[in-house]
Amino acid sequence: MSVVREKCENFTNIPINNLESTKVITPDDVLRLCKVTDSYLCTPEANIYDIDFTRFKIRDLESGAVLFEIAKPTPENADENAEKNGEGDEAIDPNAGRFVRYQFTPQFLKLKTVGATVEFTVGSKPVNRFRMIEKHFFRDKLLKTFDFEFGFCIPFSRNTCEHIYEFPTLPDDLVKEMIASPFETRSDSFYFVDDCLIMHNKADYAYNGGQST
Amino acid sequence: MGFLSVLRKMKQKEKEMRILILGLDNAGKTTILKRFNGEDIDTISPTLGFNIKTLEHRNFKLNMWDVGGQKSLRSYWRNYFECTDGLIWVVDSADRRRMQDCKNELHKLLLEERLAGATLLIFANKQDLPGACSAEELQEILELNLIKTHHWQIVWCSAVTGENLLKGIDWLINDIAVRIFTLD
Repeated sequence: MSVVREKCENFTNIPINNLESTKVITPDDVLRLCKVTDSYLCTPEANIYDIDFTRFKIRDLESGAVLFEIAKPTPENADENAEKNGEGDEAIDPNAGRFVRYQFTPQFLKLKTVGATVEFTVGSKPVNRFRMIEKHFFRDKLLKTFDFEFGFCIPFSRNTCEHIYEFPTLPDDLVKEMIASPFETRSDSFYFVDDCLIMHNKADYAYNGGQST
Repeated sequence: MGFLSVLRKMKQKEKEMRILILGLDNAGKTTILKRFNGEDIDTISPTLGFNIKTLEHRNFKLNMWDVGGQKSLRSYWRNYFECTDGLIWVVDSADRRRMQDCKNELHKLLLEERLAGATLLIFANKQDLPGACSAEELQEILELNLIKTHHWQIVWCSAVTGENLLKGIDWLINDIAVRIFTLD
């Protein structure tokens, strides 16, 4: 787990424009990024495997509380509520396919151990070396990087993956700034099959829920 | 939280451990995984793919892969063998009808070259059900004494009550740690 002390200054960053014009975006390209991208680095059509994210969930492992859960209605769970909120947190804009907005209370930044789950379905083709790289930033400061290889995915499968991690300890002044600056904490999630970018999702985060702004 | 209590003992740097959970369908693999991680187990449906839990503690990573056990999915199990340090074979101890099938699938796995280095934990699950075979009975039925190629251990458990899950997984992780890590 990378934490806040990680710095980007020493890397030569590829200008985003050049990145977009290169034919294939590789894991190395996105690992070098020092801030969120201005635009999506692939088209929705790049997802030739019909990979579909059907659920996102965040829970606190100390209390067991589900802090955020959002699910795409499917024929099987159409009756199930598509959105559950706990702890006064709110989900906004649940239908935009490539973008999720999270709104948390300031308490979220005090959590110690967090579990983040994604659920996804796969189309008729087998998927090889499925890999996720997710980068979280507050403004241009890298907060953390996830890099995980799911490996093989079975055709027509439904899969889940929960990352359980210790929340990085953030300095008090940074926490204050993050609370005071809703949606300036942002993330890019890049998904690769055989080292080729096939999906790019974005999210942003506010931590001022329950406060007057 | 079972995961953390196991991992807090480990001090190695930049280490990764991969555990694969297999067994016939309805053995309770997903329930074990979820119960062990303090998740709700009321709404578990058959796994039609995989469930992964990855835990990071300091610089140590533990990855657990639970792959669906339905007959149509078993031919895909081999895609998940690579780099496996520990194999958990989950048995529905009350499903006496399918014990032969269970034994055959387990012994088939143990021939796999890519699982050759893996420690094997057999969970005699569903001990809360009436008529469940004891761990001793299962040891006979599954012919575990024939296993000479892997470190193995059978542990009774109940995924529903959570009993003995920590004991089993603690044994597995310690056995792997002794094998793959240089002891300080």
